[in-house]
Amino acid sequence: MDLNTNRSLIAAALGRIPDGDRAALQTVYRLTSAKLFGVCLRILGERGEAEDVLQEVYVTVWRKAADFDASRASPMTWLIAIARNRAIDRLRSTRQSRNMDPIDAATEIADATAGADSAIESVQEHARLHGCLDGLASHERAALRGAFFDGNTYEDLAARMKVPLGTMKSWIRRAMIKLKACLEQ
Amino acid sequence: MTDTFDHSLPEDELLAAEYALGVLAGADRAAVELRAAREPPFARLVAGWEQRLAPWAAEIDEVAPSPQLWDRIAAALPAHAQSAGLWHSLTFWRGFGIAAGALAAASLAALIYLGALTQQQPLVAIIEGGGHRHFVATLDAGRGTVAVMPAAFSPDATRVPELWLIPPDGKPRPVGLLRADQTVTLTLPTDLAALAKKDVVLAVSLEPPGGSTTGLPTGPVIATGKLTSL
Repeated sequence: MDLNTNRSLIAAALGRIPDGDRAALQTVYRLTSAKLFGVCLRILGERGEAEDVLQEVYVTVWRKAADFDASRASPMTWLIAIARNRAIDRLRSTRQSRNMDPIDAATEIADATAGADSAIESVQEHARLHGCLDGLASHERAALRGAFFDGNTYEDLAARMKVPLGTMKSWIRRAMIKLKACLEQ
Repeated sequence: MTDTFDHSLPEDELLAAEYALGVLAGADRAAVELRAAREPPFARLVAGWEQRLAPWAAEIDEVAPSPQLWDRIAAALPAHAQSAGLWHSLTFWRGFGIAAGALAAASLAALIYLGALTQQQPLVAIIEGGGHRHFVATLDAGRGTVAVMPAAFSPDATRVPELWLIPPDGKPRPVGLLRADQTVTLTLPTDLAALAKKDVVLAVSLEPPGGSTTGLPTGPVIATGKLTSL
């Protein structure tokens, strides 16, 4: 299925949910659950827990679909944010992050440019973000990765990279400033 | 580490970035969530960051959940028509426009967050009066605390909002002072905690700074609501 068709199918189905259309939610589920489950599983690491959170995610989508504004956001962006936030909430309420392995920025290999999958956004958007991430210092990129993919907090990242908390905060903030400037070019 | 990068971004923009990235925890995270719910411009900053970062998720492999999961979800959906009663009383909020919709959603998110923390169903009360006088209270029976978020409340220059618990005997018991600008978590004395049950009324009155000194409301009761299960 081509990307734009997929995107508009998801957006159209989201638009029918506020009327109480369960089949519309099921359509959204069919088109997006594998991606969102991957997101939850990556952060939580356990299938059972990730499924509990995925259930919360679609119940949230059911309740909040009226807030989705197709003219402002892409449906996958909106859904991924809900999935990440629910998974992170779960993580925070139960335990430490799953992945607390030490990160050594000096030996961190540069990101492999993974194939952007069509369920997300255009290949160009992914390539653009990647180009900007590549422009960051390796320690900054490593810290952002730990946060985005492992659900690490500032404290987790400081421990994993063996730097003081304040240093980690300034790394992340500086990285985000650079990232925004680069993406806006 | 000697880069001379010196651009800056407003603090709100950085806070939105930290939230979207997911590095905040605990109260910091909850506070940003509530702000995003109450301040549409701030919510747009968060959405902007979610959009910037989302393409990264392309690197996460798709994994099929169990085939039975859809049935579990379908069984867990509240009917839109009844939606647990809470939403019914929240229809009032729609009068406040888009912000209120987001607010209602995020209040619920905050309640779910609190519920997850306590691992038990919290009791909640929508404390509402006329006009811009709304609070959302969440009772954590396990800890004996009640968190009260001002959903809509215009502060009064000379008086402060005070929370009261009114059990079936009808006699108001003072709980503590609230804030117009932030969520306040109050600890209930043991005897009061025992009275805080489903269907018990919470009320907010306007009192002189420091609160009522008589043990009973001295100013107008501006909003009331019953504790209900979510």
